[in-house]
Amino acid sequence: MRLTREQRRLRDDGTPAQRKAMQILLALSHLSEAERLVPVTSAHVSGASYKMIGDPGLEFLEDFARDARARAYGSMGVRPSFTCTPYLVGARPAFGEHVAWAESNAVCFANSVLGARTNREGGPSALAAAIVGATPDHGLHKDEGRRPTVRVNVTTKPHGLDFSLIGLVAGQRVGDGLPFFRGFHGSEEDLKWLGASLASTGACAMFHLEDVTPEARRARTAGLPSITISRRDLVEAQRSFTDGTKPDVIALGSPQLSGQELWGVADRVRRKPPRIPVWVFTSRAVRDENPEPVAAIESHGGRVLADTCLEVTLLEHQFGTVATPSGKAAYYLPTLCKQKVILDELDALLERYG
Amino acid sequence: MKLRGRGIAPGRTEGTALVIRVPFSFVGGADPATGAVLDAATGAANERLGGRIFAFPHGKGSTVGSYVIYGLAKRGVGPAGIVNSAAEGIVAVGAILAGIPMVDGIDVGGLENDDTVRIDGDRGTVELAGVRGRSVVSVVLRNRGRILLVRRSAAVGTFRGQWSAISGYMEGREDPKSRAIREVREETGLRGIRFRANAAPILARDGATMFVVHPLLFDAPSRRVRLDWENVEYRWIRPEEISRYETVPRLPEVVAAVLRKDRES
Repeated sequence: MRLTREQRRLRDDGTPAQRKAMQILLALSHLSEAERLVPVTSAHVSGASYKMIGDPGLEFLEDFARDARARAYGSMGVRPSFTCTPYLVGARPAFGEHVAWAESNAVCFANSVLGARTNREGGPSALAAAIVGATPDHGLHKDEGRRPTVRVNVTTKPHGLDFSLIGLVAGQRVGDGLPFFRGFHGSEEDLKWLGASLASTGACAMFHLEDVTPEARRARTAGLPSITISRRDLVEAQRSFTDGTKPDVIALGSPQLSGQELWGVADRVRRKPPRIPVWVFTSRAVRDENPEPVAAIESHGGRVLADTCLEVTLLEHQFGTVATPSGKAAYYLPTLCKQKVILDELDALLERYG
Repeated sequence: MKLRGRGIAPGRTEGTALVIRVPFSFVGGADPATGAVLDAATGAANERLGGRIFAFPHGKGSTVGSYVIYGLAKRGVGPAGIVNSAAEGIVAVGAILAGIPMVDGIDVGGLENDDTVRIDGDRGTVELAGVRGRSVVSVVLRNRGRILLVRRSAAVGTFRGQWSAISGYMEGREDPKSRAIREVREETGLRGIRFRANAAPILARDGATMFVVHPLLFDAPSRRVRLDWENVEYRWIRPEEISRYETVPRLPEVVAAVLRKDRES
């Protein structure tokens, strides 16, 4: 294992938190057979919600922060952004830039759409990377870790909800593989929904999309196994993730919505005010920057919530059935929030329950 | 005896072992307040982790497990040390956060409850007090898909009457392969066997003796076996039939390990 002089100093003479952070990175390096730590320009520390980490996590973070504050919060500049979409609020790593991100959709977006490089970190390992400014150099940090392992031919032209459905189906089929999609195009927002679903049903931290994502051209696909996703698969997926009939709430998020998506929701609820509650999840930065659609949604019976998302709120205290266009939410809500789910197009939901 | 593994979390400690044979999740598997084992599948439900050397194959489940380990240690109800066969990130990070010495690369199948264990997380060693190590070869002979089992006679020193592969003690720094060829010739009369695969040592316990078993796979040119005094009976069986036989400890793992290695190569 090769360490820089600064890394050796942190390991041997750092504060207790710095030494602990180095120990974490060194142990993970041993496990992954990384030969060095690669410098990172940002870390995304997930596991900030009490619902997920509970008392043990809270306790650790409080103890750790007491000791680490000087360096972690000072020089690394931790931003309390409370978002799973850091890439929408100014943390957009450049092509080829190494980062240490933890939340699964953010990881998938950074690798696939931006061409940045990150493994799927855990909360503590992302925190350790933040303190040291580096992460073990293995997996998706290396060229060989970014090669596709399976070709996924999509034989239908997707729009709206279809991107979530493609992700759900592909994740189930490729597991922890790295899919190379072909046969369709999509905007950045479309790929955000695809990646979020893919990283939920599968352990995927990256995908390629022919002619669209930045590393697709360099990827070699000859000789790879291939699978096909058809319209029938998507219809079937929508049906299999829908087990509710009468929704108590329409929940929009997971991942949190962008400003443009807020405008889309605002336009629709203005035209046809919903008859059931509409909860919209976004980041505080996006909410602050978009007062107009926020006001429009809230004056038509909706609520725009920031700093949180569907699965980590206590939906189960108020609701039993959730309607959502998010594949990721449809995957997690039954277990994390004990909800029945109706998975459908945003337009269809706002039309039907407006 | 001292076993050499890999240091995961630094520090030295000693305690009595709590050993489980299945992967473990600290989330839901242990009571965060008391350190009691909750997961019944471990066969150790209601045992307390506090002060024990906790040995299990590897971690599983939610990454929140790292925090649970930290919480246990903070309350003084966490394990004194951790030994894994093959560590993964959740338990490794948890041990480091909690300051619990941890070693991996040790086949926990050879450890038993209430062993007195000393572990050194800096050097990556595990020491078992009052246990003597003996290195042996365990030779799986294969002929057209079937493998050879022999039943040990009443004249041998250990595991009398049990079904075994061809086995023998290694002396000094002897090469397992040449010892294997010699044992096969003595116990079966077979010559011209061909080496196919070997696997990492598997630990098998017999009271105060720890057998460090070196698994090897050879192809035999025929099924004509001539037994010597060490065995009384032989059978060529399909590998999946092994569960029907009363075997020496861990023979099924030995067979599975070499066949897996052979498939991979």
